Amino acid sequence: MTHSLNEIEATAKRAARGAGLSWGIAEEAAKACRWLASHKLPGVTALAELLTLIDGVPHRNVSPISLDGAWTAPSGRLCPLASGTALNDCAELLLKEKPIEMINLSYPLLLIPFAAWASVHINTPVKVSWSNVTISTNGKCIEINNSSPHINVEIATVLSCYPAKDFQTGASKPGMRGIIEPSAWVRLTEFSDRTYAPATDASRRLGAGSGNSDND
Amino acid sequence: METKTKVDKRVPLRAADQVMRLNRLGSFHQCRLSFMRILTRRMVKEKWAFTRPVFDINANGVGHAVYSAHTPCRSYSLVVFAHDIPDADRSDRVIAHAWDSTFTLFDGIPTSDDIERLRKNIPLQEAGRVTEKELSVSRANRSVRLWEHVVSCLADGIQPEITEITKVGYLMRTTAVYGSGKLGAADREMISGRPECAAPFQIEMLSVFLTRTYVRDLVQHIAKIRGKTKAVELDSNIARCMGIGNSTGLGMAPFLLNHPNLLNNWIMARETAISRVRNLRSASISEKNIFCDLLERSILSAKRWQSDHPYQLTKLMELRRDLHILASYVKNFDFYCDFPWDKIFLWSEVTLSQEAQECLASLILEPYGYLVDPLAENMSDVDTDAFRINGSMTIARLRQILEQHYGWALNIDWTKQDNCARAWYVSAEKAEPRLGERFEEPIAAYEQPLAPGRDAAALFVALDGSVGSDTIAKFLLRYPEHRHTVRRAQIVEKAPYAEIQDNTIGSDLLPIDMLRCKLAFFGATHFDPRSDRWVRICLFGNAPYPEDLQFSGVDDWSYPPLAISDT
Repeated sequence: MTHSLNEIEATAKRAARGAGLSWGIAEEAAKACRWLASHKLPGVTALAELLTLIDGVPHRNVSPISLDGAWTAPSGRLCPLASGTALNDCAELLLKEKPIEMINLSYPLLLIPFAAWASVHINTPVKVSWSNVTISTNGKCIEINNSSPHINVEIATVLSCYPAKDFQTGASKPGMRGIIEPSAWVRLTEFSDRTYAPATDASRRLGAGSGNSDND
Repeated sequence: METKTKVDKRVPLRAADQVMRLNRLGSFHQCRLSFMRILTRRMVKEKWAFTRPVFDINANGVGHAVYSAHTPCRSYSLVVFAHDIPDADRSDRVIAHAWDSTFTLFDGIPTSDDIERLRKNIPLQEAGRVTEKELSVSRANRSVRLWEHVVSCLADGIQPEITEITKVGYLMRTTAVYGSGKLGAADREMISGRPECAAPFQIEMLSVFLTRTYVRDLVQHIAKIRGKTKAVELDSNIARCMGIGNSTGLGMAPFLLNHPNLLNNWIMARETAISRVRNLRSASISEKNIFCDLLERSILSAKRWQSDHPYQLTKLMELRRDLHILASYVKNFDFYCDFPWDKIFLWSEVTLSQEAQECLASLILEPYGYLVDPLAENMSDVDTDAFRINGSMTIARLRQILEQHYGWALNIDWTKQDNCARAWYVSAEKAEPRLGERFEEPIAAYEQPLAPGRDAAALFVALDGSVGSDTIAKFLLRYPEHRHTVRRAQIVEKAPYAEIQDNTIGSDLLPIDMLRCKLAFFGATHFDPRSDRWVRICLFGNAPYPEDLQFSGVDDWSYPPLAISDT
């Protein structure tokens, strides 16, 4: 069974919000899952694991302390959503001489879509590397150097982002459906359920505003 | 684009702070750019063919049917499952679990395997699962009283009373039409490259168009089984005036807030059309005649429009009164003057209610298909990168945007309870959007981000601590809670009609205004609020049926014909 990309985005957004992220970051976490799913990458699994890890942790503790020099978090582990949104926001830094380096970044796969959007902004393909993994993107297409298991690691000790001068035009294009790992979907749904207000008799009666008979 | 008449540019687009107010959006009427009309114009132009390969429904009204639409390049099929449900189970609420008929729009012609797969899922609606072969999922309930009246009349060999029909306007009403990826269906992006799917909501409109044909066929089928040889078919003029009802609740209200670019594109297309016509230096006799004919038919439509809701009753009274005032004004109006449409428009702005002003705005577009219809091509949201925040923008520039586009919100005292009395939330039951009382119910913790005005004002205050030359990137690193508002502000900077410029959480909010705006773009008529957050409408009333499309002439079916009297 496949999922529509809209389903993935909608559930991921609610889940990220359910785990306590701001609406703005939740929106981008959802777009990131959608982007990864369109490239057959397990973004939903990575998000489910990340949300479990950062559940209840103040966002500031896992955000870059500063955008100057190598990025580090007060807690010691950077969140890929906090780092990804910052990477998107300061995309121009990628055009400077030195790569952007992130130290101890959780679930680095989730950073790739943000590198893609930064790439669109600076109109230059971007390469992201950690361990023996190198992924390049021009925003839409993606090129993965190998299918190393390191692509799904829980933490990248050092992750680098820099312009991809050798980006291949034959890189793979996005698809239109997503394949989801069922247990990760269940976990996302559990986070998502936290955004729903428990129904009360009053809300059932009044909240949707139907006071009249439905038959006419 | 061919232009037969000189178009000046003396009248600019109406300003967003005039158009994007809830009471004006809640006064919108259908127009040439409505999605149903975009669809039927294409069907006629491309000579779509229609077939009914399956109609297998028994005497109890149980079975299935398939209705196919064939474009020049491909086919779409409405797969219908007809059910027999007890009256007590017939609810329009999203939380219902049984319906008279359930539907899916299938991409192509379904095989028998597809039908069997769909039979296990479509009757369950939200509890079922579909695939990328399905483009929409929907359901409909009978209007019990009218259904029985029509069946019994036809079974007895007589035609139903047209006054009874026009009182309700439909035999069945849909209670939800899900598209774009819901329940596993194909995402809009999978089909948006097809010309017939490029404009908004074309799949959903096609589904309703075919549903209407099915409902007519079903009522005749049931009457024939009951009356046997005595039964007659429905008079074609009576059948024509019947549309498909739709019950719409709060689920639709957040849509406009959640799709700012799309909202901008809809309003921009209509405002551009209005401006083009107001800028015409002259009007021909035939153009004037088209306008006057449709004004008369609008008066008839307003007369037939039924509602018991006090808010709508007042608006209806004003509309009926003002359309007569407009008709008198136009009767003596010198159409040979310079810029006649602009002159009428300016007169309306100081003379008529907003209901009638917006009715007029839609009416003046009617004679000018060549100026208006091509704008339909710009109504979808194709800017997929618009969600991306530009972090290099300075704080000073963001402040300017907020002052320019959210000035209305910066002037509201958000600490006053009345100004933030409501909160939008999603209920645990069926994930249904609801509107609650912030200070009376424990819902604030679950609030959805549907108060852009309040949030813009909060962002404006938060910017106080930043230097004007600093970047948004630096600000958002410290204040991620304002990220969604920065995104909206950057969208509104480029898309002036993207934001509703009114308080969406105030104690005086009427969600039906938001519903009306969206439904008017669908092409709905006869809005009948059932409460401040629940509205019934009619879709495709007076539209041609598939077999009549090629003979339907000009695109004016949204206006009831004067030939059928309901007096």
